[in-house]
Amino acid sequence: MSDPILGLTMLGLIVIAIMMGFPTAFTLMGMGMLFGALAFFDPAQHWWENKIFDLMVQRTYGAMNNDTLISIPLFVFMGYLIERAALVDKMFHSVQLAFRRLPASLAVTTLIVCAFWGMASGIVGAVVVLMGVIALRPMLNAGYDVRLASGAITAGGTLGILIPPSVMLIVYAAVAGQSIVKLYAAAMLPGFFLASLYVIYIICRALINPQLAPKLSADQYRVPVPDWLARLERGESKRVFGALLLAVLRPGVLAGATTPAGRPVSFGFIFRNFAAASVPLVLVLSLFCLTWWFVLVRNAPDAMLPPEVSVEQTETLQAPAEDEEVKELGAGEQEMEEQQTTRSGPLGDVAPRTVEEGAPEGFYERFWTAAAFMAALLLFYYWRMDGEQLEILKMLTSSVVPLAVLTLSVLGAILFGITTATESAGIGSIGAMYLAALQKYQRLTLWSALIGAIVGASLGSIQGETMTIIISGVLGGLFTGTAVAWGRDLATSRRLFATMKESVFLTAKTTAMVCWLFVGSALFSAVFALHGGQQVIEQWVLGLNLTPLQFMLVAQLIIFILGWPLEWTEIIVIFVPIFIPLLSHFGIDPVLFGAMVAVNLQAAFLSPPVAMSAFYLKGVAPKHVTLNQIFAGMMPYMLIVVLCLVIMYAWPGMTLMLPDFLYGR
Amino acid sequence: MTVQRFLLATDRISAWSGKAFAWLIVALALVVGIEVFKRYILNAPTAWIFDLNSMLYGTLFMMCGAYALAQNAHVRGDFLYGSMKPRVQAALDLTLYILFFVPGILALAYAGYGFAELSWRINEHSNVTADGPPVYHFKTFIPIAGVLVMLQGLTEIARCVVCLRTGEWPARLKDVEEIDVVGTQLSQSEFVDEESRRVAEHAQDIQDAAKHRGLGESGASPETRDGGRN
Repeated sequence: MSDPILGLTMLGLIVIAIMMGFPTAFTLMGMGMLFGALAFFDPAQHWWENKIFDLMVQRTYGAMNNDTLISIPLFVFMGYLIERAALVDKMFHSVQLAFRRLPASLAVTTLIVCAFWGMASGIVGAVVVLMGVIALRPMLNAGYDVRLASGAITAGGTLGILIPPSVMLIVYAAVAGQSIVKLYAAAMLPGFFLASLYVIYIICRALINPQLAPKLSADQYRVPVPDWLARLERGESKRVFGALLLAVLRPGVLAGATTPAGRPVSFGFIFRNFAAASVPLVLVLSLFCLTWWFVLVRNAPDAMLPPEVSVEQTETLQAPAEDEEVKELGAGEQEMEEQQTTRSGPLGDVAPRTVEEGAPEGFYERFWTAAAFMAALLLFYYWRMDGEQLEILKMLTSSVVPLAVLTLSVLGAILFGITTATESAGIGSIGAMYLAALQKYQRLTLWSALIGAIVGASLGSIQGETMTIIISGVLGGLFTGTAVAWGRDLATSRRLFATMKESVFLTAKTTAMVCWLFVGSALFSAVFALHGGQQVIEQWVLGLNLTPLQFMLVAQLIIFILGWPLEWTEIIVIFVPIFIPLLSHFGIDPVLFGAMVAVNLQAAFLSPPVAMSAFYLKGVAPKHVTLNQIFAGMMPYMLIVVLCLVIMYAWPGMTLMLPDFLYGR
Repeated sequence: MTVQRFLLATDRISAWSGKAFAWLIVALALVVGIEVFKRYILNAPTAWIFDLNSMLYGTLFMMCGAYALAQNAHVRGDFLYGSMKPRVQAALDLTLYILFFVPGILALAYAGYGFAELSWRINEHSNVTADGPPVYHFKTFIPIAGVLVMLQGLTEIARCVVCLRTGEWPARLKDVEEIDVVGTQLSQSEFVDEESRRVAEHAQDIQDAAKHRGLGESGASPETRDGGRN
């Protein structure tokens, strides 16, 4: 007994049932069980022989074997560890000093730190509350407009769930059967585009009406320059970077000077400062070297394929076999829904275009133009660097740079197809453990990492390729540094271990929440398809004769409205699957759709009067800040999100450029 | 109160088993990391690592289901729910536990047993690679998780009954929460004054109020708030 009407009833009831506030995973499961039992009802059988029981177990096992969802616990774990290791307050302070000359520097800093920290953690509530404490008071004290200040915090706080590595995109990938890498690549540009639109908006507002964001007085952002540095500034070469270089070569220059701690300046001390000063140079250089390597060596036509590519491909070939096994074991009726629910996995995670006709057209011109530009910028930066700048740079190096390097390399490894998403997430978690160790046991971690790097590099030199040696050095350093520092911690104070325990337990709870929701929705959509509900909806929508634009508008509007009462987990797991099969009729790329849904939910989470982040901010704000002021502050950002959506639809190239470039069409 | 002791005892079983299996995440991260090193640097990939990864992940989330339930960590559409009185909440929950929760979890425990038993009988191995590792023990976790979640679900049903009688949600075990990170961060911060630092103490209340969008100020969700009694 299966009936499309029953299918539609299911869909109608699920909305009501979810609003009743029962844990959604079990609501979905229960609806699936009840309606599935009806579908499989056979008077000749006892009720306990009903096939729905087997279907439930099959769907559960499917979720347990889902190779897209497997990266969720790893990314979540990495996020929780970073959240506890990277100090927002230090980050805010140093970034703010770096941007002190910009108009509305505090608001811009708030936005950037929110987005940056949110990228790693992805928990809106925690980001907003924390920034409400750390950033809101300084802004209000500096005389910033309440609306501008609160808007920057709430908009920045929600950005974290959009910009990769975000768990939301993994769940979307699992639901839509797309590859994580493609979705990450697609969300990159819109995410940063949206962030830069926010920044431009803030700066423009501050330029038009400087009263909204008064400049800090000079003594509020003065950075104390230590004595030895001041001596260098006055020294013969005038330029701090050059003077430092000279001092490294001839430590006698600084004889008699003392460090802020009161000890005489030693060679190691000078060298450390010099190393900190050259961080921007090293970062830029390694970025360009990596690009060069990726385009010309890795993707070169004649070069031997790196070993990892072949391994990835064998894995890919094996994935369909596994799917078949699940099918065989399942009841015959599942064929239909098998196609639309959890097809996913490394099928999409295929390595990027490995065969390419030499360097892409115009690569050399673009590469050298960019290199020249960056070189000029660096030269200017080092020319202008004074003692104050160096102090700020040192602060940035200790607070922002480690996290930035970790996040960017995790993302880079995924996007360039060097590793799969799961592997990057695993390495990322270990990197987060390293960061935590670095915070507590700096010296020990750095030294053991150095030893590990040497060992790793020599292991890597068995293969002889330069890049392998570098990567194995990095990995060796990462592993050894982490292992030694954590071992020491376990043996002694167990301070790190306490944060580890928190992160582990939180990861367990969050993973269980998301994956059980996925189990429930897998059963639900299986039964929904069994009743033919999906076909009814498809026929109905196609009968409306919508244009792709109209369809997109309706779909995004529905998701926007659902974003008011529901959390993103529920929307993506329950409602997005209904739209996905329709996309091909309208010729819309599911990857583009996914990126737009992700951006759209930003708007939903910023829309009065239900946006949760406003209430979080209200909770920490001083008494005189009203909820209405916060909402008024959020409105412009919501409109910016809508503008971003329009641009994304009108110009799909922005979203699809990166995935197309990296993985081909 | 004996009922309360029974509730907390089962909570503790769920939390203990969940926390024990939660450590699989560390194992997963290490296994993935070591495999990356072996595969990319030493050029010696391991054939069964794919199976091992999904076993670690699958076991992790299945066995933590009861823990999440005991901590009320499963996401709820609590927009309206949060503003209801505890008695109404309990009545709704009680009905839905019996209507929705019990059948599905029953299926896991009961049909999952048959599923795993068949796997044991045929000595099933994974076919991701030619000689894949056995999967029967992995499948056995389905009925085990089913029983654990069912046990916790019965506890939750008992909670609903208690709440219907007394009009107040019984307490839960205290455990780490997402919002706790605010306290961790603020305690280490250098540029924040003492007054702001005290925000961390009521971060939990801020979260509760935000979840209900300011609708249920009057003790809407006391179950998490007075969970610290234990």
